[in-house]
Amino acid sequence: MIVGVKNLVKRYGDLVALDHLSFNVKEGEIFGLLGPNGSGKTTAINCILSLLNYDKGEIELFDKPMAPDAYDIKRDIGVIMQDVAVFDELTVYENIDYFCSLYVRDREKRRGLVEEALDFVGLKDFRKFYPKKLSGGLLRRLNIACGIAHKPRLIILDEPTVAVDPQSRNNILDGIKRLNEDGATIIYTSHYMEEVEQLCSRIVIMDKGRVIASGSKEELKGMIKLGEKISVEIFGLSSVHINQIKNLPNVSSVEYIDKTLSIKYNKGKNNLTTLLDFFREHDISFGRIYSELPTLNDVFLEITGKELRD
Amino acid sequence: MFLNIFYNRLKCIVRDKSLIFWTLVFPLILATFFNMAFSNLSKSEALKVVDIAIVDNAQYQRDKAFQNFVEQHSKDIPDSEKDIHLFNVRVVSPEEADRLLDNNEIAGYVTYGEPIRLTVKSSGFNQTIIKEIFDQYSQTVSTAMSIVKREPAALQNGLAEDLGNIAGFTREVQIGTKDKPDITVNYFYTLIAMSCFYGAFFGLKEVTDIQANLSKRAARLNAAPVHKLKVLSAGLFAGLMVSLAEIMLLMGYLVFVLKIDFGNQIGFILLNCLLGCASGISFGALISAANKKSEGVKTAILIVSTMAAAFLAGMMFDRMKYIIQQYVPALSYINPVALITDAFYALYYYDTHTRFYINTGLLGIYTVVFCLVTYMIIRRQKYDNI
Repeated sequence: MIVGVKNLVKRYGDLVALDHLSFNVKEGEIFGLLGPNGSGKTTAINCILSLLNYDKGEIELFDKPMAPDAYDIKRDIGVIMQDVAVFDELTVYENIDYFCSLYVRDREKRRGLVEEALDFVGLKDFRKFYPKKLSGGLLRRLNIACGIAHKPRLIILDEPTVAVDPQSRNNILDGIKRLNEDGATIIYTSHYMEEVEQLCSRIVIMDKGRVIASGSKEELKGMIKLGEKISVEIFGLSSVHINQIKNLPNVSSVEYIDKTLSIKYNKGKNNLTTLLDFFREHDISFGRIYSELPTLNDVFLEITGKELRD
Repeated sequence: MFLNIFYNRLKCIVRDKSLIFWTLVFPLILATFFNMAFSNLSKSEALKVVDIAIVDNAQYQRDKAFQNFVEQHSKDIPDSEKDIHLFNVRVVSPEEADRLLDNNEIAGYVTYGEPIRLTVKSSGFNQTIIKEIFDQYSQTVSTAMSIVKREPAALQNGLAEDLGNIAGFTREVQIGTKDKPDITVNYFYTLIAMSCFYGAFFGLKEVTDIQANLSKRAARLNAAPVHKLKVLSAGLFAGLMVSLAEIMLLMGYLVFVLKIDFGNQIGFILLNCLLGCASGISFGALISAANKKSEGVKTAILIVSTMAAAFLAGMMFDRMKYIIQQYVPALSYINPVALITDAFYALYYYDTHTRFYINTGLLGIYTVVFCLVTYMIIRRQKYDNI
């Protein structure tokens, strides 16, 4: 086990930021911590890194208790914080070299590692640039390079794609996959469900400092009643027809707003075929029609009653 | 690792343009302005010899005491007494006196008689001096006459000699035996002291960069396998080096460009600068560690406290130093800027180093205290809030 968090409690005065939080991270996985802003993801990461005091609980990394002076553990961790944490006065190369030097003393070895990190994040052409001259996306890549240059076994990324353009975001996500393929275990926190869904092999969904669900994305989606959502563009639909649709097999709810019919189904088969048959029988003409499988947002919505981005 | 951190911190400090402006360029600009403002101050305060004339008439020729008085103030007294003469006197005819006055060759002329009459073309500093001195003579003579009327025996008891030896009006007093006093140099002392204390900005920067609750960079650093005191000591050492180098540049500018004389006790001057910079850096570190406000607020606190300390040390008003020593003497021992200033002052003016050692000793103690308190605060390795 790479990370073990057990019954972690952290209070800020009366506010309970982490409420008996428990989870494990296994070697080689990309572990996702998903939750809305303020759900306690960053607090959990800071506690794991022994930066924050906590009120109760146990944290183990690499099967050893984590402590501020556990330098042998820290040597194997790479951290990429939510905010870019680099020195404006140092160039791209110097920043990576400086943070790498906190882990690797040998200058020759470090030189090779810094070059690899520059290559990995695609900043070779920007090595002499100062951070202020970099775009937001490139700055994020530098932030990542500073955290991974020393080739850690465990990489913690706390919302690394906040305020990043789509191209840079894809670049970052691809990079994380490659790091994992190279053997690093990843903890990835985000409130973007699409990223977590795309990237993570195992996911913990947090809300109000608690774990509300955990498992693979398939397991999480299997926990909820929702099986499918079908949306149809229809220019005219009577209330009689709407009531008839409600009575079709597996239908859990029906909404008709702005000429769009939205139908949610419980788990079941042939929902789209049944619906198309109904339209044909009642001579109902329709425009575009599409079907969606449940997302992690649906999981969150069904469990908490609110949207993930609320 | 220490050297690598030190080297990188050095780069961070030297490349911080705003920091270098306030700690190096700003004092250089202030020094230039000080020099422009004070360059004529010493000259204007120096007493110039006043050209006067005495009308040569019978009364003047008769009164040996008055001639003696005039002579006393128109020549240098031997060096042992260090008096300086006030007047260049010419004894001339009334017509010549008028001509000299019309041609502005003299500030005024005196016609001896009862009373003594002073003729001037305009009023001013020199004319006031002439009037005051001859009035003084008249009053002294009048007093002597009164004494003789009541006590004729006084003449036999040395009154005449006393009248003939009216004390000089000016006397140059030297505090030590090394240098001639220059009141403007104190402004430059406070400027150097303030610049030393601006090292506080380096201390602030270093602590901000290792406290995880103060900056994200520090959070990253705290997650690394390195003792933060190692990082702090490397950073503070880098700050001290830069601060000291800046002070040397400032001193060089003052001595070689502006020709300010600081005496020749280079070793002691360097020691004072070193301790001044160290106390400044440790003070900044303490301010940064002791409160959780933003970096901007801390910088504002440092600027205000440094300027206040410099003001109380006499940077904006030279009398302030003496007012503090007269009314709140303890404050001059608490104020590090005043201690640095006074240490320079003591080096420049005094023959012994007692006062210098007291000042620098206190600076050393404050540096140790500031460092210890900072260490007590930042040794905590986890934070309640980030």
